[in-house]
Amino acid sequence: MSMEPQVFAPPKTKPLPGFQPKRYTLVRNVVLGGLTGVLLGGFLLDIPRINILEHTARNLYFHVPMWFTMMAAFAVSAYHGAGYLRTSDPVRDLRSAEAARVGLVFGVLGLVTGMLWARFTWYVGTGLWWNFDPKQTLAAISLLIYGAYFALRSSLEDPRKRARLASVYNLFAASTVPFLLYIIPRQLESLHPGADGNPAFSDITHPTMRFILYPAFIFFIGLFWVIYTQRVRLAWTQRQLDEDEAWEETW
Amino acid sequence: MEPLMYIQAVPADTTTASTPYDSVWAGTEEVPVKEPVGLERVMLQQDKIYVVLGVVLLIWIGLAYLLLRNDRRLKRLEEQLQAPD
Repeated sequence: MSMEPQVFAPPKTKPLPGFQPKRYTLVRNVVLGGLTGVLLGGFLLDIPRINILEHTARNLYFHVPMWFTMMAAFAVSAYHGAGYLRTSDPVRDLRSAEAARVGLVFGVLGLVTGMLWARFTWYVGTGLWWNFDPKQTLAAISLLIYGAYFALRSSLEDPRKRARLASVYNLFAASTVPFLLYIIPRQLESLHPGADGNPAFSDITHPTMRFILYPAFIFFIGLFWVIYTQRVRLAWTQRQLDEDEAWEETW
Repeated sequence: MEPLMYIQAVPADTTTASTPYDSVWAGTEEVPVKEPVGLERVMLQQDKIYVVLGVVLLIWIGLAYLLLRNDRRLKRLEEQLQAPD
């Protein structure tokens, strides 16, 4: 009886449905170049110097896009969450979770950059890092709501149940974002622009800053898309390896 | 109607609102300017440009965190696909 030499055959995995490598590479390169430009322009472009604000006005290019990126990410997450409920396609669940995860990181960055900015601009001499400003507090609450999304996910073993419940919760979480970040802070007294008694963005921002700010929105959201796509590809391949033959049965 | 939420009062200390480094302070000389202490001594220099540096560094740390997370995932995949000895 002859022994066949053992040949290692790695399990075959399918590529991520809908993934277009050429488009991904193009977007990635444009985003990397664009963000380099935003950094250069953000520091080099001359802006009018305002008392108290001084150079920290440049934080507008970095702090505000964090929140816009987070909202874009959470919108993508809710879209795929709703898509999962409609189609029961496991990829939609993966996309929903990864968009929320990357979005949460951007949200945390928005919060800590805001803390640093306020500490050395409006809270100079007070030593305050956190002042329970309504904008600050409600933004932190919206991050906690999304933190609970991941707590919910990790508490459920059955992938189908997890995907379904997480998608429903995701829709609830997304519906709170406009209220927590826009509607309620506008009714309250706050140091943050756009709140009650404070001018909104368009009244106080010098036109030249828009040449950097608007590209910053686009390229940071592009950066989200690149990282999110990487993570979905990884998660999709991982899921197939984990489940292997049991894949079809599980779903 | 009572407001739902009050902003917390910031302890009044207007004397440091303008720093010795402030380039456009239009006030008169009677305003006493307190020397900033601690971290503020660094952060308020050069018209507060170091605050911008701090913000950019925080974002860089966040992106580095995502990079490391992706790396960990990739490593797990590689280990699973490794040919047995």
